[in-house]
Amino acid sequence: MAPTEHTHETLLALDGVDLGHGSQVVLPGLSLRLARGERIALLGPSGAGKSTLLAALRARLGATAAWCPQHHGLVPGLAVYHNVYMGRLAERSALANLWNLVRPLRGPWREVTELCELLGLEGLMRRPVGQLSGGQRQRTAIARALYQGREVFLGDEPVASVDPHQALRLLGLIEERHATTVVALHQRELALSHFDRVWGLRDGRLAIDAPASALSLADLDALYPDAEATSSGTDRHDAEPAAPSPEALPCSRGRA
Amino acid sequence: MSEATLPRRPAWLAGRATGPRLARHTLTLVALAVLLLPLADLSVVTRDPWTELGRMLQGLAWPDFAGVESPFRALGLTVSVALWGTLAGVVLGFPLALVFTRSRLVRAGCAFVRAIHELFWALLFLQVFGLSALTALAALAIPYAGIFAKVFAEILEQTPRAPADALPPGVGRLSRFLYAELPLAWTQLAAYTRYRFECGLRASVLLGFVGLPTLGFQLETAFREGRYPEAGALLWCFYLLIATLPWWSHRRLVPLLIIGGAFLLGPWPAVDGGLLWRFVSQDLWPAPLLAGDWAGLVEWFASIPDLGPAIGNTLLLALLGTVGALLVAMALWPLASRHFGNPASRLAGRGLLILLRSTPELMLAFVFLLLLGPSLLPAWLALALHNGALIAFLAARHADALEPGMPGLPASGRLAYELLPRIYPSLLALLYYRAEVILRETAILGMLGIATLGYYIDENFQYLMFDVAAFLLLVTAGLNIAVDSLSRRLRPREAPLEDPCLR
Repeated sequence: MAPTEHTHETLLALDGVDLGHGSQVVLPGLSLRLARGERIALLGPSGAGKSTLLAALRARLGATAAWCPQHHGLVPGLAVYHNVYMGRLAERSALANLWNLVRPLRGPWREVTELCELLGLEGLMRRPVGQLSGGQRQRTAIARALYQGREVFLGDEPVASVDPHQALRLLGLIEERHATTVVALHQRELALSHFDRVWGLRDGRLAIDAPASALSLADLDALYPDAEATSSGTDRHDAEPAAPSPEALPCSRGRA
Repeated sequence: MSEATLPRRPAWLAGRATGPRLARHTLTLVALAVLLLPLADLSVVTRDPWTELGRMLQGLAWPDFAGVESPFRALGLTVSVALWGTLAGVVLGFPLALVFTRSRLVRAGCAFVRAIHELFWALLFLQVFGLSALTALAALAIPYAGIFAKVFAEILEQTPRAPADALPPGVGRLSRFLYAELPLAWTQLAAYTRYRFECGLRASVLLGFVGLPTLGFQLETAFREGRYPEAGALLWCFYLLIATLPWWSHRRLVPLLIIGGAFLLGPWPAVDGGLLWRFVSQDLWPAPLLAGDWAGLVEWFASIPDLGPAIGNTLLLALLGTVGALLVAMALWPLASRHFGNPASRLAGRGLLILLRSTPELMLAFVFLLLLGPSLLPAWLALALHNGALIAFLAARHADALEPGMPGLPASGRLAYELLPRIYPSLLALLYYRAEVILRETAILGMLGIATLGYYIDENFQYLMFDVAAFLLLVTAGLNIAVDSLSRRLRPREAPLEDPCLR
């Protein structure tokens, strides 16, 4: 899928750009480089600016990027088929799109059926999205992004509401069909095991920009302020709610 | 020493908190109404209202269905006028809703057509289309187009933006609307259209009062001639129609009703283009204005009778009606709420509210008028009871959705400490929304002989003085728009009414 000779070609570079919405700057003076064929995990606590960064990438990449938004952005009243079809809404005339609401067009129906079979949504294609479970909606949103058939995949927490096994399978599907991916995540382990590179945002800065192979879970913990407060242990979910240990504090601060 | 440390007892009703502020608000409104009460003519003119009331109740209790002439034809026409009027309103209003937020002209036009009651539109179209289905449909469709445009625009504005943002770049405007906006608003649009249809049913009945052969025509005749058993039978027919609405207006039945209704509509008028043009271009305008005679226009203006008292009476009745509706709502809502009384009392309370709410206010006013004679009193009672019951019904529904934090309080404590503080802001907000509706209804009550603006509009139409009637209609519309913006400014911000079906 990703020819090796393209691996180092720069797809997009930001050099000291202020990112934000309206007049409010969330990420000041951001510099980074996205290379073709790279698989990037975007980490950071809630509100660190992951969505802002992804929106900026999406705006700059335009029609080369498929987009899977946070909280899915699906239309509850429309069937799974129509929601997936919306990935290529721009490719047909308004009249064809209107007719497709009345009676699915043959070509798109076949293509969407194939995708839905891959994602375990077969048999649900005529069901309104409003009647689906959280995981099924998540897969519908991914199906819509895959249906766009673009070179780059941008996902804002696309595997947040599925179980770990499904998350692996879905990430596999995404990688299989896109040379370049930028995916915002909360699962640190997945970031290290499944991606080439990690971007870590904290306090409006790109605190981590390194190959996944050079990072450990403890490095990633430094992104999350709550992890410092509990303990310096690698698994913060099991950490006891204890007083901050005096050794851990300066150590992790120093790294960030 | 100890006195100095005790916090000073706050003055009653002082402070910026929601409770005292709304209480001050309410008391001002009530005080204003009480202050202006002596200006209203509230005399009882008839000699023996109680015997008459007894006969009416007797008629309602023992209706004479056999005496009604072809009730099914009138019922059918009532339903088809409401259905086709609403449909035409949607067809006209929906495109307007799409440009509503962008065009000041559309907003102003919609505010104007909304501000004139269905019955006045009927009076206007009666002059050109006669007693025909076209008059009835236009009377409903035109104000409803303005209402649909506004409400649909608000609903579409509130649809979530996320699905539209998720679309790939380059999607056309129409495709985006069809896929990412319309489906999100669909449920609410359908619910509002259904609600408007119910309003249309009541309006369709009322069209009988200007002579169109809907249910209201037979109702008015029966009441006027004192044939109360027949009037009772017709009223029961109407209540039955409203009560069974959820069943016969099922989604799948609607196309069938629309097609079937088309055959019941009639008679169709022969529209004379020249006559229509003369009416629009000449009859509706003051002759001196068309001639460019300014001195004549001043004279024409001076010849309009009693404009001041008519406006005064209209506003006074609207104020009294609003305050009356508040009092009625406060008194009645606990009757229908699950927090008070026993199953039997609640059933009776709900029945009373539904009865008062579904009876068109003009109908109520008409009954009170027969009882009490022509003064502001019957109109006031009708407005207060109808609108009060409507607000009480919604307040009870709101209260039923609440769970008291302190179970086991006595009923009075539950009312004063648990429920009233929580529902009062929305009750008051609802009242302010209704204030504009009440004003509109005030004007039409004039058609029954109560000296509001509507009385003079009706009179001038009857004397074929269309220019004066049109001018008075403009005054009425301006008054409505002013009161609407005033009540919008005054209504409590604590309880934004999300549900457009409450208006």
